[in-house]
Amino acid sequence: MVKDMKTPLLLGALALVASPVLAQQKPIPADSVRTIVLQEVAVVTKRQDHQQHLQNFYNANQAATTEELMSRMPELSFIRRGSYGMEPTIRAYSGGQVSVTLDGMRIQGACTDKMDPATIYIEPLSLQRIEVQTAGASSMQGAAIGGSLDMKLAEADFADERKLSGSVTSGYQSAANAMMGGLRLSYAAPTWGLRASGTYRKSQNYRNGRGEKVLYSQYEKANYALSGKFLLQDDLVLKADFIADDGWNIGYPALPMDVGQANARIGSVSLVRENSDRRWSRVEARLYANRIAHYMDDSARPDLPIRMDMPGLSRTSGMYVEGTTSPGHHQQLTVRADASASYLTASMTMYQEGQTPMYMLTWPDNRQLQSGIAAQYSFQVGDKTQLQLNSRLNMSDFAVTTGEGRNQLSVFGYESTARQFLIPSLSLQASRMVYKKLKATLSGGFNGRTPTASELYGFYLFSQFDGFDYVGNPNLKPEKSVQSEFTLSWQEPRLRLQATAYASRVQDYMVGAYNPDLSAMTIGARGVKIYYNTPYALLAGAEASAVYNITGYTQLVSTLRYSFGSNTDGDPLPMMPPLRNITSLRKYFGDYLWVQGETELAAAQNRNSESFLEQPTEAFMLWHLRAGYQKETEKKVWQLNAGIENIFDVHYREHLDWGRIARPGRNVFVQLSVGF
Amino acid sequence: MKKYTWLTLWALSLITVFTTGCDKDDDTPTPTFAYQKIAEGKAAGTDFKIEVYSNEELTTGYNPIYIALFDASGKRIEQADVSFQPMMDMGMKKHASPIENPSSGQAVDGYFPGAVVFTMPSGEMGSWTLGVQVQANGQTGTFTTPVTIKEPTTSRLKSFVSKTDGAKYFVAYLQPKQPKVGVNDLEVAVYKASGMMDFPAVTNLTLALEPEMPTMDHGSPNNVNPTHTSGGHYKGKVNFTMTGLWHLHLTLSDASGEAGKLYFEVNF
Repeated sequence: MVKDMKTPLLLGALALVASPVLAQQKPIPADSVRTIVLQEVAVVTKRQDHQQHLQNFYNANQAATTEELMSRMPELSFIRRGSYGMEPTIRAYSGGQVSVTLDGMRIQGACTDKMDPATIYIEPLSLQRIEVQTAGASSMQGAAIGGSLDMKLAEADFADERKLSGSVTSGYQSAANAMMGGLRLSYAAPTWGLRASGTYRKSQNYRNGRGEKVLYSQYEKANYALSGKFLLQDDLVLKADFIADDGWNIGYPALPMDVGQANARIGSVSLVRENSDRRWSRVEARLYANRIAHYMDDSARPDLPIRMDMPGLSRTSGMYVEGTTSPGHHQQLTVRADASASYLTASMTMYQEGQTPMYMLTWPDNRQLQSGIAAQYSFQVGDKTQLQLNSRLNMSDFAVTTGEGRNQLSVFGYESTARQFLIPSLSLQASRMVYKKLKATLSGGFNGRTPTASELYGFYLFSQFDGFDYVGNPNLKPEKSVQSEFTLSWQEPRLRLQATAYASRVQDYMVGAYNPDLSAMTIGARGVKIYYNTPYALLAGAEASAVYNITGYTQLVSTLRYSFGSNTDGDPLPMMPPLRNITSLRKYFGDYLWVQGETELAAAQNRNSESFLEQPTEAFMLWHLRAGYQKETEKKVWQLNAGIENIFDVHYREHLDWGRIARPGRNVFVQLSVGF
Repeated sequence: MKKYTWLTLWALSLITVFTTGCDKDDDTPTPTFAYQKIAEGKAAGTDFKIEVYSNEELTTGYNPIYIALFDASGKRIEQADVSFQPMMDMGMKKHASPIENPSSGQAVDGYFPGAVVFTMPSGEMGSWTLGVQVQANGQTGTFTTPVTIKEPTTSRLKSFVSKTDGAKYFVAYLQPKQPKVGVNDLEVAVYKASGMMDFPAVTNLTLALEPEMPTMDHGSPNNVNPTHTSGGHYKGKVNFTMTGLWHLHLTLSDASGEAGKLYFEVNF
């Protein structure tokens, strides 16, 4: 558990404020001894360090999945179709508008219904931290208009003395009668280290706030992560990572189909040189590849007119090189070059007894080549002002790769399916201490994003959200966004306040438009929508957070957020999370026990998109109680976490939940872990 | 030195990424034309040998027929007038069927191509003969051979009695022979029964096409209605969005209105 103490869950903008720009360059571990010291420091100071406290707040239910951890971050929301595989959105930007990467690696989902976001492939046990970047700062990760979400993998360590450490974790959650078990083993040597972890989860159909079982909400999965680190030279490290994630029997109550099997294999090799004496103080080069296979079927559903299989496959390989240097006093420059190639294919086969199977490609075989160069330049102007410039030039090339795929798209008169996009982005951020501990940050810039494979080439992809079949459009223009963000923060040891307001105007906003001439393919669908560019959409919103150390042993954390979106006609955009607040109060009783009370509040969302036939969502308020107890013996650290979520068994759903499916009711969780 | 290490790595990676997987063009090549001999013999009144070929088994519907002609010395005759005389003998009565005689007197690759639209299968109802009349080198003669016509698993010939002129019309399905998901060439041929022995091609109709997937109750977009090209052939485009059973609904109209409706099944 020692390790877990050290792994902070960085809170997006909070983290950016917490670490001054120039301190972003991590301290270079001159030798392995220092690493150990850092670990010990992290444990010893855990009650004094705000950042650690924050992490503990959000990590309190350690049986939680990565998705559950993230959903507590103010910038993030999740589009929920089932208990598993929720799609992350950043400030109401979703899908192709945000860049979701795993330790800088691109992963393309293999599911045409977005049921396999990259966030499901990493378990908290192998997660080091989550970085959410909004607006222009996401340029380093990719071409996106809504920001970036990067999950950093936990690494193996070096140690002067060879050392084996590890942890065993087991947990239970009552609402879904869910079990989880986790195992971590780390081996550290002076010049090499290995880290292996495995997590198994099995969740049954959960009960909602009315005590009803929500059918098809079960899932089962196993995740293995292996990481190795080898010291090649004093300052040169070779790293290798491999993740295998297998999920099966995954139910999606909000969809007409479930997932029989989902397999991911993710691997990478990288070289990192960190040496502050060199001109380039940090250089990293990484090669990676991943393969995602996803099998949707409806075999678990009763009484269907037709049986259907929808398998999908995605393969991506890529690389990036990133270097950091200091071109002058108080300046830092990070440059990055990345490239990747992704291949996607998905098909649908329908079976009717006594008939030829009905088969089509839902994603005609297609590939996306992408490469980009990005730079981040920071400059400390005097004592009080910082400037940061983020830029990126992204090139991508999309094409349908088989004659079969092109034939299919020719049905819609799409003669040419190959597309090239050149997307520049640039943003400037200025921060200044304006009054005592009050810091103001203003940023502005432009960026863009390419259409996704579904938006370009999708072939009758049924969306349960509005009940339409969606057809791609290879003639789409990229979305271009102009945005601005303003943050005020007040920082002192006991109190940290922050408020951010943002607004953006997205030109050529992509949306599906109903075409009455086309007949729907899916039985029961309302019709066919084809993607096209609307003139523009407006998105705006605000976030605020407060961390208040009332005493050394009592801490209050509260976050608030609101998003607003409207299209060219001034009508609301769909999938806008309503006003939401999470407030937690934690109290430590001595060194070993803490108790945390929490409220979660969401306002009603009555600004609904008519064209998506979106329904209003009611307001709700939830109460949670969590507690943790830790006992350290000479060689072991025992940790018990337990709590009750949704204490009053409220029957509720969040606005981004599809299909008006209620969330779990009262959930009692308990988790025991032992670390050595 | 170190710089080059990075450069090499970068270059290697680039090569890896951009060489793994190239575009595949898997458009199936058109199958080589297979001539299948149905019959051969002497044309009565000549010293020619006649060979009758088709592409596959003869079935109810439109059948391309190829004639090869050889003179007494066994030399291929390249210049001849060939015409078909199909005949159904039903005991009590006889009838012919629509034909397309080779359009030119010149052989193509040694064969005289034409077509016969057999309107029913051979069987207890009656039996078919195919007469081939040739005129070449100043000689004229006819070779008649019995032929067996099978009913295909999926009907390729439909008929209806016109609402406008009361005549019986035959509609034969020609294309797509190998349907694919995507845009397909559609071709049908329409003939009219003017008595028992004369089946002229109908060239003045307007055809409306509507594909339908009966199991799923949906159609497909952007189809092109077949229009007359020549000799009673109508060509258009039909789009299939998936494999499976499709119905191609055709509505045929002439100057005075809707004449009839029918559909062909396509199952692939």
